[in-house]
Parts: sequence; structure tokens; C-alpha cells
Amino acid sequence: MDKNELLITATLAQIELKEGDLDRLGQEVGRMLEYFEKMMEVDVTGLEPTTHALVKKNRVEPDVIAESIYADAILEGAPELEDRFITIPNVL
Amino acid sequence: MLDWQKNSEFKAYTEATEKKVGSFLEIRPEAPRTQGPLAGLAFGVKDNIAVKGYKITCGSKMLENVVAPYTSTAVEKLQAAGASVFGKTNLDEFGMGSSTDNSALKQTNNPWNPALVAGGSSGGSAAAVAAGIVPFALGTDTGGSVRQPAGFCGVYGLKPTYGTVSRYGLTAYASSLEVIGIASRTVVMSQKVFEIIKGEDPRDQTSVEHTPGPYKAVKKIGILKGLSDLTPEVKVSYEKTIAQLKNLGYEIHEIDLYTLEYVVPTYYTIATGEASANLARFNGIRYGLRPAYSENPEQLIRKSRSEGFGDEVKIRVMLGTYVLRSGFQDQYYIRAQKIRTAIRRDFDRAFASVDLILMPTFPTQAFGRGEKGLSSFQQKLADKFTCSANLAGIPALSFPSSVENGLPVGMQFLAPAFEEGRLFEAAAAFEKTFPAPQAPEFRNWWS
Repeated sequence: MDKNELLITATLAQIELKEGDLDRLGQEVGRMLEYFEKMMEVDVTGLEPTTHALVKKNRVEPDVIAESIYADAILEGAPELEDRFITIPNVL
Repeated sequence: MLDWQKNSEFKAYTEATEKKVGSFLEIRPEAPRTQGPLAGLAFGVKDNIAVKGYKITCGSKMLENVVAPYTSTAVEKLQAAGASVFGKTNLDEFGMGSSTDNSALKQTNNPWNPALVAGGSSGGSAAAVAAGIVPFALGTDTGGSVRQPAGFCGVYGLKPTYGTVSRYGLTAYASSLEVIGIASRTVVMSQKVFEIIKGEDPRDQTSVEHTPGPYKAVKKIGILKGLSDLTPEVKVSYEKTIAQLKNLGYEIHEIDLYTLEYVVPTYYTIATGEASANLARFNGIRYGLRPAYSENPEQLIRKSRSEGFGDEVKIRVMLGTYVLRSGFQDQYYIRAQKIRTAIRRDFDRAFASVDLILMPTFPTQAFGRGEKGLSSFQQKLADKFTCSANLAGIPALSFPSSVENGLPVGMQFLAPAFEEGRLFEAAAAFEKTFPAPQAPEFRNWWS
């Protein structure tokens, strides 16, 4: 994979690559992609894609109101709170 | 009954053993329970499975300080059956690896030789059982992550049928492939624990309830034609196992799985694609390491992921991002999913003529570190025998087959979906002739 492709992929993956990373990680990614070419040998005509091996249908739950039992435990795990609100960094 | 909280000899043993092996990230035993089929037993839990009040680090700096607010279904069921959590076991970061050396938090050594890896990604779970600290431990198997370390450490490793054990409370890596599995000292322990943790769960959309048909006893075992790439030790053990199975009265048939040479690229395309989506949530805002300083939200996310993830996770997330990029999907991801269909059919065809398939668990015994080890790429190629079961969704059980040059070797049986019973039957028959070997210098407190 050329450097430019790798940088585009890293940007999409929201990972910052430093100079050393580019060679080390880029080489591994490139080697795997090359290896993936082996899949081209298989004739896939007429084969439907498998998304899950054994799940045959979507299962749905009835839409009923249930009590949330985790709210307090989740709030305890938050790094910063204001009353019962979780403070997060500015994301806008 | 062993009271692990009070028995000072056991406590001293555990402390000394952990210094050598390092199987646990957190040891905090619950009190022994007295009621239920598993009363009086303690178990380890891989640190990507939630237990309320315990950390759930996934072996990553990203989640180093996260405490689980709830308990996974599998652990809840074990607690209800009388077993007690002993602690959380080490793993390759987010379950990505075959050595447990990709843990950002701790090194786990093989109890048979501390210079060697315990295998992975559930290396802590297998090592804790092999070192005698717990009689069983939960792990997760996405491409072989319970079976391979079980093989390296000389214990049993079960990968159940996909969906039979609820994934509720398991940190997702590759959702369509992974399943909670069991490392144990005996076959009967594996079976008991499986019977308890299985079952449909409304909290896991992909969990399945299955009413078994009439049980078919195992007569015919398939072995692969022209198996290659095994080290001499694994080859010897494989041949001994076949001979022993014949002695036990099983018919051995040669079969052909033509898709086997495509399972590794197919597996890594699907697994990394799913990983790139599942790990998108670790961004320093919703979850994960928050950098000390950032100028804007984009930089915050990039810093969080770059500082929080280790190399192997970055490689897989980038690989997955690439195979899912628009323009490349047909070439990689969709093609892999189609080959996955061919792999399933290949197994269906094989199981029309045999009841079980025997394969080595891994082409090598436990390997060393650095230059004496396997490169990250070689480790991936070596997943060939294990990851086929995950692609097909079928169950498999790794069992200790012999000790060669002072190290255990693992073989595995594969069965059709929902036929775990066949795995237990044949493995128990083999166990009578070769029980799980005891790692030298360690003691089994649970027999």
C-alpha cells in the first residue's frame, strides 16, 4: 500500500501515524492486504454472502418500558459529573 | 472444600505462582458459595467480559481504569450455579493476538516454561487453569483464542456453537465470529460449565435457543488429507492421537476441506472489518482514554486512539477500515462473506460422511519471544486450523494430546452446529487414556 493510501486509511480510522509508525504499521497492513489477494482464486459465482453463520432471522423484543438499573453505576464510572449529567469535552 | 479466602497455603501458592506466570490482571475472589451444581468452585474471567464492580480493561491502556457497571449473562449464570469469581485474566489487547504479549498491561508466561508465551488471546485464562489456581476460566474465541492457549498450556478449551452462549457483557471485537468459551482442567468441567452458561438471552440479539434432536454417538472421525506445515512435535502428536482414537474403536476417514487454504484471508478480512466498526466507540468521548490536551474534537479523538491503542489493534483497525472503504468492499469484504458461505458448505459436506473432524489446534507448540517467536504475520497464518470453526459457527474443543519435548500439544475436534455433546464424548474417551498433564512445579488444588 503506498504512503498516501495508508494516510487516507489512517485518517478514516481516526488514528494518527507518526513517522516510525508509518513504516512499521504500514508494512504489516500492506503484507496482509497482499495476502488477501489469495481470495481472488475462489470462484464466488452464485454464492450468497454469509453475514452470520447461524442467525436465521432478526429477533425483536417487545417494546415495553423497563426500569434502567445501571444509571447510578454508569454515573460512578464517569470521569466528571455535574449533578447527574456527565461532563464531556467540547465536541462541537 | 477449598476456602480460597482463608486457606493460607493456597494464598501463598497463588501469590508465588502469579509472580512466575502472571495470568491475572486483577485478583479479587468472591466468597465461596455453598449452593448449586458449581458450589465451592472459583473461576477466572477474561478481562473483556464484564463483572460488576471489577475493572474491564480488555488488556488496553484505552480502558485501563474502566469499572464494569453490570455483569455479563455468562458470569451471572455461573454465580447463580454456585461458582465464585476469582479474578480477571490477562489477554491480548481486545482479544487480538495469539500470544497474550499484545496485552498493554501485563506479561503472561506459559506455566510449562516461563520463557514461552501462554498463547492467546485468552492466555491468562488457560495459564490460570494450567497453573492450578482455578479449575476453569471463561475466555473468548473469535478465531481460536480459547483453543490455542488451551493447547499451549495443556488444558481443555471449548469454543461453543456461535450464539449458544450469550455475548451480553462481552466487549465486541468481531461480532459475527466471537463466542464466550471455557478453559478447564477436565472434560466434565467443560461440559458442566457449558450446560450452565448456554441458552437464549433476550439481551443478546444473536443468541439462539436450540432444541437438540436425537443424539448421535460418535463413530466416524474425519482427518484431513495431506496435512502439512506442522512442526515435527505437533506431527508426532497428531499421529499418536489418530492411533489412539483407532484403539478406542473410532473409524478414521480421510476427508478433504478444499476451503481450508482460504480461511485465514477470509477470517482476517471479516474480523478486521467488524473490529474497525466495533472499536470506533473508543474515542475518548464515549469511552476510553482522554488525552490531557487537545485543540479540537477531531484532535481529541485521534490522540485518544493513537495513545490508547497498541500496534496490533491499530493494524487491524486500519486493515478493517481499508477493506470496508467504498470501492474496495466488493473486492474484500463481500468476497470474504461469499467465501464464508463456501466454507460453511464445505463443512456441511464433510459432516455428511463423518461425525467429528480431528485437526491440530495450532501448527506449533508454545513459542518463544522476540526472534525465537513467530512474527505477527506468521501467527496470523497459523490460525488456519482454528478460525475455520468461527467462520462456520460450529463448535470445537481443543484437548491435550501428548507432551513432546517437555511441552504439551493440543488437538481439536470439530462438530456440526449444536453438537457439543459429540465433542465431549470423544474427548472424554481420549481423556481416559491421556488426562490433562500437570505442568511441572505446579499443583492442582481442585481435583
